[in-house]
Amino acid sequence: MRFHQVADTCLPAQYHAAQILAYTRSREVDDAFILRGCALDAGSITQGQCRISPQQYLLLLGNALQALRSADSSFMLGQQMLPGHFGSVSHALLQTQNLRQALDILCLHSTRLCPLLKPRYSVGQDFSILYWMDSYGAPSLRPAIVEMHMTAVVAMCRWLSGRRLPWRFCFNRSTARHTEQHEVHLGGELRFNCHLDAMLIATEYLDLPWPRGNALAAEVALQQAQQDAQAADETPGLLDAVYDYLLTNIRCTPNLEQLAAAFAVSPASMKRYLARHGTHFQAELDQVRTHVALYLFQSRQYDNEAVAQHLGFHDANNFRRSFKRWTGVTPSLLKEKLADDFPDLNLYAMS
Amino acid sequence: MLKNSMLRLHRNFIIAACVALISFIFLYAYMGTPKPLIKWKWMDIVGEGGTSAMSGLWLLIMLSSRPKGLVTRLFAFGLASIMLGSWADCLDEFFAIPKEDIWDNLLESMLVFAGMLIVTAGMYYWREEQFTLNEHLQKRERLFRDHRAFDRVTQLSNADYLRLQIKLELDSHPGKPCALVLLDIDQFHLINRQYGQHEGDKVLQAVSHMLLLNLHNQDVLCRYAGDRFAVVLHDRSLEEAESLALHLCHMVRQMRYCAQEQTLEISMRHACTLADDVPDTLLARLSKTLEASAHQFTEPSLATGVL
Repeated sequence: MRFHQVADTCLPAQYHAAQILAYTRSREVDDAFILRGCALDAGSITQGQCRISPQQYLLLLGNALQALRSADSSFMLGQQMLPGHFGSVSHALLQTQNLRQALDILCLHSTRLCPLLKPRYSVGQDFSILYWMDSYGAPSLRPAIVEMHMTAVVAMCRWLSGRRLPWRFCFNRSTARHTEQHEVHLGGELRFNCHLDAMLIATEYLDLPWPRGNALAAEVALQQAQQDAQAADETPGLLDAVYDYLLTNIRCTPNLEQLAAAFAVSPASMKRYLARHGTHFQAELDQVRTHVALYLFQSRQYDNEAVAQHLGFHDANNFRRSFKRWTGVTPSLLKEKLADDFPDLNLYAMS
Repeated sequence: MLKNSMLRLHRNFIIAACVALISFIFLYAYMGTPKPLIKWKWMDIVGEGGTSAMSGLWLLIMLSSRPKGLVTRLFAFGLASIMLGSWADCLDEFFAIPKEDIWDNLLESMLVFAGMLIVTAGMYYWREEQFTLNEHLQKRERLFRDHRAFDRVTQLSNADYLRLQIKLELDSHPGKPCALVLLDIDQFHLINRQYGQHEGDKVLQAVSHMLLLNLHNQDVLCRYAGDRFAVVLHDRSLEEAESLALHLCHMVRQMRYCAQEQTLEISMRHACTLADDVPDTLLARLSKTLEASAHQFTEPSLATGVL
């Protein structure tokens, strides 16, 4: 399986880096301050002469947030992020006919549209959930990046659909200090201290037609986007690829050796690569198992016994203890919290 | 960056002060005779030199934060005189000056005193200037000042300040009603998309000016976040707040904002409540009321006209 790592120069600089630079310039911040430590120069970023690594993108973003010193920076950066000026993918987004198609494009072309966070979505009977996974491991910037990406999707959908969509938001963090920014830029339905950074929306909104939608134009632009992706030799980020691998093989109790073999590297290299992203095999595995357990609880109404069996645990007690270690709470408490947070939300009906 | 540019404004003055400092050394070296190390009084050197260094530091701090003008000039000359006076006093410890030379005495005592006089005059005008600024800032801040709580785009205070203001209002006037209004610009995101964030910022500034013009002196306007403004209305009933909010929306709509050869009609939505709860829940509740209506319908496009 092919993948790229945090230090590989794989992102066109004129995409996201240029967006950041344009915004900080409009706020009268010196370029030198933003580019500090990035080993890049402003000219090559705006003229699109170079590629940057996710690491440099993160550094740039961190510098910008630090220089702007304003609670709304991450939201303002998000406002202008999508559909963006990323060539054919942006054109495809502009022509999308409904939310479902927009989310499909977003998830399929996330490497180009939103390289830092990988969006994934699952459609339920009543509610659909779009959740964001960290692609390169940047814990200190994570809250800001999540705000930025959620704002990007909300603002894009509001613009293209011509209406405010009733999103609900879950944040994998403690309550933010500036919730007013979340309220205004995202919406009033905010939940903190959740185990996922996720956006929920009633499934009926997925297929409502959008006014600018153009099936033919979207189709053509999407084909072009596929070709561009192949031409640019786009590969998924390591953590995203690992997540996908573990998700598919979760029932076979995967281990580091199997993972390394599937990625055609030695276990020691894989260990080293993961360490570079600030993580290790067990943490990634636990994360996937948590997500699968949550999904099974909510959508399939599995009890502890059934989930334990699904994930290959010997018994329910063993599973319950592990689950507490992964999330900090027992399965039953977590279910209660979900019911408290979203009283009218029938998560059990998710398919 | 701003600080640097302020210092750059006063470059000539700073250079002149440095030249004066250096020329004092030459003056004393030329006119006096060096004292042997044994006669140096360390306490005096530290005290007088320190005074000189501190007033120099004050001078730099003051110059770095103020534009040119009368008050700045007075402060600058005053502080520079104090600095030079104590510098002369300090140099006096290294060089022996004959007793009959009265210029040394003059420099030491008169410069410091003259400097203090000038600084005092500066203080007087500074007070006047501050009164004028207070008047200007009255609707943006009340009861207390916190420079960190100002929003950079609109120069209004932010949500942190708003929460404190509500809390203070509730604590200090428990009996009196205090109303809270939230105002939200319709279709602001479209202005950002069509004309760019720079134009969006200018719309925010224009709206904040219009709102300020239509408020009483005891009311406080804050920028809550994004395109949402909040007004704290001291000693006002819900009906009064409602009618004021309608008036504010009306005035903003009357405004003809020019954006790139087009006029934009800017409309606002509002929500009012009496401040009867902790600020956080109060504001979250009001925000939800403001948004509740917006979810149902397809949003209209921007109302524009030809200039």
